[in-house]
Amino acid sequence: MTDHKRVNGAVKRLLVRESRLSIDPDTVPDDEPLDGELLRVNSLGFLGMLVRLEDELDVTLDDDIFAGRVFTTVADVVDAVLDAAKETT
Amino acid sequence: MVTDVEHLLAVAGRAREQMPPPGDARYEQYCVALADRLTEAWPTVLTANAADVGRAAATGMGPALLDRLSLGDQHLRALLGLAERTRTALPAVTAPAAGHRAGNGTLVRRVPKPVGVALMIYEARPTVTVEGALLPVATGNVVVLRGGSEIAGTNQALGDAVDKALADAGLPAGAAQIVTDPDRKVVRALLRRHDAVDVLIPRGSPTLIDYCRTSSTIPVIASGGGVNHLYVDRSADLDLAARIALDSKLAEPTACNTLELVLAHAEVAGELVGRLVDAGDGSGEPWLLRVDPRLNASVPAGAAVAELAGTDDGREFLERSVGVRPIAGLDDAVQHIRRFGSGHTEGVVAADQGVVDAFVSRVDAAALVVNGSLRLHDGPTMGLGPELSISTGRLHVRGPVDLSALLTYSWVIDAAGTLRGGSEPA
Repeated sequence: MTDHKRVNGAVKRLLVRESRLSIDPDTVPDDEPLDGELLRVNSLGFLGMLVRLEDELDVTLDDDIFAGRVFTTVADVVDAVLDAAKETT
Repeated sequence: MVTDVEHLLAVAGRAREQMPPPGDARYEQYCVALADRLTEAWPTVLTANAADVGRAAATGMGPALLDRLSLGDQHLRALLGLAERTRTALPAVTAPAAGHRAGNGTLVRRVPKPVGVALMIYEARPTVTVEGALLPVATGNVVVLRGGSEIAGTNQALGDAVDKALADAGLPAGAAQIVTDPDRKVVRALLRRHDAVDVLIPRGSPTLIDYCRTSSTIPVIASGGGVNHLYVDRSADLDLAARIALDSKLAEPTACNTLELVLAHAEVAGELVGRLVDAGDGSGEPWLLRVDPRLNASVPAGAAVAELAGTDDGREFLERSVGVRPIAGLDDAVQHIRRFGSGHTEGVVAADQGVVDAFVSRVDAAALVVNGSLRLHDGPTMGLGPELSISTGRLHVRGPVDLSALLTYSWVIDAAGTLRGGSEPA
């Protein structure tokens, strides 16, 4: 099941961990920049994030899920995962 | 999934059986051969790397990350140096211990054995491919290397050089296998094979390390990243503290042993801010001081600083910046480090020996540095020889993962006919 709330929660937990933060993921706004003052996420960290997302959400995400897309905010990642999940279910 | 994991691990298993024991001359030959083959293949490696970097750039990857993917001649020089240092370190690392005479007259000693089959999973940094093919194999292990998909072409070219070096040295083909298949099912399949893989060595982002730690029953040697602190006591020489802070960060801002946050005793925190600004100006290098708002009044006029946010506690900045936060004293420093530190490297600057002793006693990390740069936590710098990574784990190896950490041992009991019997107490 890949409803928005579940994907949103999973993505924020991973982004907080990837940014090496010790904050409640639920406090991260949807429009928070991925590479800003709070979150610091780069694409080299995607392997760990993708395998964890696949396990947590029980979906298969394409290797190129992030290719050709512009990622600026948390919501961009959530949308990409939701789109990919739709295509693979 | 194109890669046949069963076949890959079968090859690794056969290689493991064929590997000579640690200390065999073929391992030193391998170090030399790998250096030669890398030198020979370097133009090809650079061509493949340029293609990888070009593809990464086309996806919008930023310059800092592209720099991490890129190879140049300086990387070859570093790898050749590593191969030579590994070769020269091998005899001492693999020498059998003298042992001791037990009470029953038997001679008890240890002989080194390889850990077995190592699986390294890492992101980017093509030099890790060579490090992974060098140190574990030189100590008699077999290694499976799964690097980032961004550098698959580079890794293929490096893998060709490794294969030739293995053959040159008379070591079994398959002692080092490089997986370039980007399919994550391969990673999952490998992580499930605790029957065929003896140790897992992930290097990369926090989520990758976490995934390896929590998704596999294979023992892990991992660096959890470095959220490292420097406690500056009120007894400290503040000029020294400022120099230590900057040396702990600016030369290698993304390394895992660098400083993130200075925890300064409140009585000297304001003065320390000025010393840090002065020291930074004197370095002539661009950097950023992140200052707790309570210290704003201490920032020299005209100094360019940023605010240290509350959410920055526990953050690894991975940039040329250092934060400074005032605290009440050692107790608060210990509490802060326990809550936010990653158990990697923690430092204290103090003239008061009692404070130093208390810090060393109460803070728990892989390395505790007293009145010195946090970047001293480094295998070669510590006189431990080449290192594969720095471990924040508590078992088997903590700190530099040097050549000795890639070995285990067998106890040898030279009994000369001694029997235990049934009446002797244990």
